[in-house]
Amino acid sequence: MVDQYPAIVLLAPFFAAIAVSLLGNWKSGFCLPLTVLSLVISLMSSIALLGQVAESGEVVYLLGGWPRPYGIEFRVDPLNGLLLVVICTIALLSSIYSIRAAAVETPDKCPQFYTLYLLLVTGLLGMSMTGDAFNLYVLVEVASLTSYALIAMRSKRAVLASFNYIIMGTIGASFYLLGVGYLYMKTGSLNMVDIREVLLESGLYTSETILVAFMMIMVGVWIKMAFFPLHGWLPNAYSYAPSTASCVLAPLVTKVTVYVMIRMMFTVFGPEYVFVYLGWSDVVVWMAIVAILAGSILALAQTDLKKMLSYLIVAEVGYMVGGVWLANETALVGAIYHVISDAFMTLCLFLAAGAIITKTGKYCIKDMEGLFRKMPWTMVGFVIAALSMIGIPPTCGFFSKWYLINGGIEAGNWGYVAALLISSLINAILFFRVIEVAYFKKESTDSDKEETVSGSSGVGEPPLTMLGPLLVTAVCLLLIGIFNQEIVILIRQAVSSFGPLGFIG
Amino acid sequence: MRALGTIAVILTGALLLYASGDFPAWGEPYSPANDSRVSRHYILKSFEETSVPNMVTAVLADYRSYDTLFETVVIFTAGIAIISILRGPVDKRVRLRRASEKSLRQSNLILAQTCRLLVPVIQMFALYVIAHGHHSPGGGFQGGVIFGASLILVALSFQLQTALDRISEKRAMILAGIGVLIYSGIGLTCVLLGSNFLDYSVLSKVLPLSAIEARSYGILGVETGVAFTVTAIMFAIYANLSSHGRMKGGL
Repeated sequence: MVDQYPAIVLLAPFFAAIAVSLLGNWKSGFCLPLTVLSLVISLMSSIALLGQVAESGEVVYLLGGWPRPYGIEFRVDPLNGLLLVVICTIALLSSIYSIRAAAVETPDKCPQFYTLYLLLVTGLLGMSMTGDAFNLYVLVEVASLTSYALIAMRSKRAVLASFNYIIMGTIGASFYLLGVGYLYMKTGSLNMVDIREVLLESGLYTSETILVAFMMIMVGVWIKMAFFPLHGWLPNAYSYAPSTASCVLAPLVTKVTVYVMIRMMFTVFGPEYVFVYLGWSDVVVWMAIVAILAGSILALAQTDLKKMLSYLIVAEVGYMVGGVWLANETALVGAIYHVISDAFMTLCLFLAAGAIITKTGKYCIKDMEGLFRKMPWTMVGFVIAALSMIGIPPTCGFFSKWYLINGGIEAGNWGYVAALLISSLINAILFFRVIEVAYFKKESTDSDKEETVSGSSGVGEPPLTMLGPLLVTAVCLLLIGIFNQEIVILIRQAVSSFGPLGFIG
Repeated sequence: MRALGTIAVILTGALLLYASGDFPAWGEPYSPANDSRVSRHYILKSFEETSVPNMVTAVLADYRSYDTLFETVVIFTAGIAIISILRGPVDKRVRLRRASEKSLRQSNLILAQTCRLLVPVIQMFALYVIAHGHHSPGGGFQGGVIFGASLILVALSFQLQTALDRISEKRAMILAGIGVLIYSGIGLTCVLLGSNFLDYSVLSKVLPLSAIEARSYGILGVETGVAFTVTAIMFAIYANLSSHGRMKGGL
């Protein structure tokens, strides 16, 4: 039982997906309980797995019983152990949220919706657990196909946004696959650890093919994570998607892809190749600085709440890419910590936005007037997430920025530090603008007209199944912030296993 | 925008050309991909370890079986995705081209009879390809596509409805789910028998086979699952795309 935890984490949502697709057509009442149950099982075993990893180091699970490098293996270290817990928690919270939202947004497609939802979670869990470069591609495909479908399920606009995403996503995946193909051509192996060994043994650092393979893989994951200027697909896709889908897509897909980038850089190619031999870190950090600023400024230009949040994701991706490429331990710890905290912040914001939009039916920031009076608890969740995005102390956003900024100072990259501070200021403007409208602005003057509308739609607190996950997420934001020490110790354990980061001067 | 696209294409092309300078020679038998530890192991040991004469099948469905499971899931997902996007509200299903259908049915005696003759042969061949994957090129994906093609042929040469009468879309999706379930169920049985996921050798505990032979039969089992899924999804995708998700009319 104990040594099967990695399998249980992945297989619980996977079998639930098959069960939902088989039983759901017969009785759609089965969908939701199965989904929630499987995610609870998955969450519990991922926590147990993380405990196991924290205690005794890396856990390897051989699929089919074939030893490395002949078969495929799951490799769980503290880094992806943490990520698994985050994925399971977020998937569980959004699935509870979906009880009402899915019934409204995608009626009579319930079985399909939950099958795709569970397969998406399976894909993301598989992406974070696998120790095989090609297997990663297969699971990226599962995760992407399901997200295209989930986005397109709602409306005509969403179909177009999803089509853009399909084109961009497929290009990204093809780049990644081409890179893996080149790697295989030179090393003859697909296992991540094995590839690194072969690269070192056969002295392949000078090979042009390996260089191009690295570039292809990086461009591929950058497209997938919407790294500016490759972000074109993201804002529309996430803002037009059904709100349950965007609640699980927005926090997870980009973050898991950032994890894939870290895995590729540190486990497959190795920091000594990426930082010492290539020495491009400055260029990429400057790209990240541009991404942070561009994302923030574009967010400032939005009037639609969900679009604004989507552009913020673009800026946050810049934080993480920059942190990873600063090539020192503090910044890397900060970037990984930010992956976790940003996943929860984004979830919290999208849950709040989803609740507001379902209750009021309004998308624009300027229509949010008087929301504090109508739905105070929802706005409490929103404000906590906003404070975390800005980086106010007890929330986790502060600590991740703290590590990132310290890392930037350590690396002597003042541009990155400045970009982080400017982007925090812009976040403050963005969120206080929303809060100002929602708190201070009186409802519109033609009050009798307003009343009839609000009377019929009954604007008030959203149902408990929406509010619960939102408040739990908000509490998580505080907890992740307060217990940052424990999380950072785990992350450091992972980072130290990557070997020296090879930061020179 | 167009200029940007051109620049991106030229840059990528130049990169690819640059990378090719360091490629192993064309057809080189001792290139890393052919002569690495992994490939050598597959070539020398695969028959000994799995008792499958076809090396490709052994790698695909045993050494890297987990990959293949998720390839099957990708196909399954594609089917569900297309249905969930195309399927509109139920009341929108309108009757299309009723009159033209009738005339079509009467006027194509030759087409109908040819199809009648061909379909059983195609399906027999599909089963052969599935079953013979152990010895020759073939297996679940290829056989499944051929079987699916036979159903599409029925839909093309009669009407979509004729094919749907035999396998409705709902039933096709259930078959697809069962296919994935067969594959992953075999994997799960291995876990329940006390080994790792998809480690077929433990099936020898319940089957009257040696551990090595159990691997071979495990592969046959998962190939069957793949064939179910591929057949059903091929047909479901065709039925949905050709009728805009209305399941009426068709091409």
